[in-house]
Amino acid sequence: MSDAVLNNIRSRRVVREMSDAPVSREQLETILEAARWAPSGGNLRPIRYIVIEDAETRRLIRLVAPGMFQHAPALILLCLNEEVMIEHSLPPSDRALLIDIGTAAQTIMLAAHGIGLASGPVTSYSKEAVRVILNLPDSYSPEMFICIGHKAESTRRGMKAWKKITWRDLTHWERFPPP
Amino acid sequence: MNENWVLKEDEAVELLALLITSARIQLDEPAHYGPLRLLTASERLSGMILERASGKSRDFLQANVERIPELHMRMSDVDAYAAGLDALCREVAECLLRHSSLEEKT
Ligand SMILES: Cc1cc2nc3c(=O)[nH]c(=O)nc-3n(C[C@H](O)[C@H](O)[C@H](O)COP(=O)(O)O)c2cc1C
Repeated sequence: MSDAVLNNIRSRRVVREMSDAPVSREQLETILEAARWAPSGGNLRPIRYIVIEDAETRRLIRLVAPGMFQHAPALILLCLNEEVMIEHSLPPSDRALLIDIGTAAQTIMLAAHGIGLASGPVTSYSKEAVRVILNLPDSYSPEMFICIGHKAESTRRGMKAWKKITWRDLTHWERFPPP
Repeated sequence: MNENWVLKEDEAVELLALLITSARIQLDEPAHYGPLRLLTASERLSGMILERASGKSRDFLQANVERIPELHMRMSDVDAYAAGLDALCREVAECLLRHSSLEEKT
């Protein structure tokens, strides 16, 4: 097992304060190419990625995203494409769709971390306001932003954990005892 | 009393965007995120008006900009969070008094 992979997983943290340093197009392409390798239910690939670098568009997005604390130089918006759902008769309530968002999001954040960039996911925003600002096609449902940038020198501390947890607290081995 | 104009139209619209979108997303989020959104709005408003505010509010506003981000990251420590919010409430009351005629009379 590769230590590099495990170290990358363990050391990634959500970064909520980013510097002005830009992210290059090449770095963004590396991240997006990594996202393509995330597992996808039925290999259907229902996600479309929208990359936003334009400063004014980013400013407006942040204004309708109360959960976006970062001033990130690049945003990747993960959208579910309804056309893929219709094509494969998937109801929008199919849980695999949101699981796809999760596998892609984590892949993006680990890829960013792997090339020395900071990232932070944001789901606290108004979908309708984002739709209007980005002129999103009706078939796109905006599910999650990933802010990409560089960690600021003095960053706020992360969200304090509700309680200390280890993987053991989260894991149960084998069958539960009979009732 | 102080009748300074401290907020520009663009800034007011930005604040409205934050308040309205916060109201919407709060329907889908845990109840304890409500205070977080109000604090974020308070921090942004403090930052917007800081430069143009009078000496009666400036220290209070400056402290908000610095402390609120720290405070709302600690919401899982309920007692410390409540104590931090209580301290803010005392300071806002003191700021209100500095702006009121009650204080001028004393
Ligand atoms: C589905 C999901 C939504 C999230 N939404 C936000 C968000 O809107 N704003 C934010 O600052 N962090 C958001 N986060 C980040 C979490 O708060 C963060 O992962 C958690 O506090 C643990 O921190 P760590 O990833 O640095 O270990 C989100 C994470 C997930 C998985």
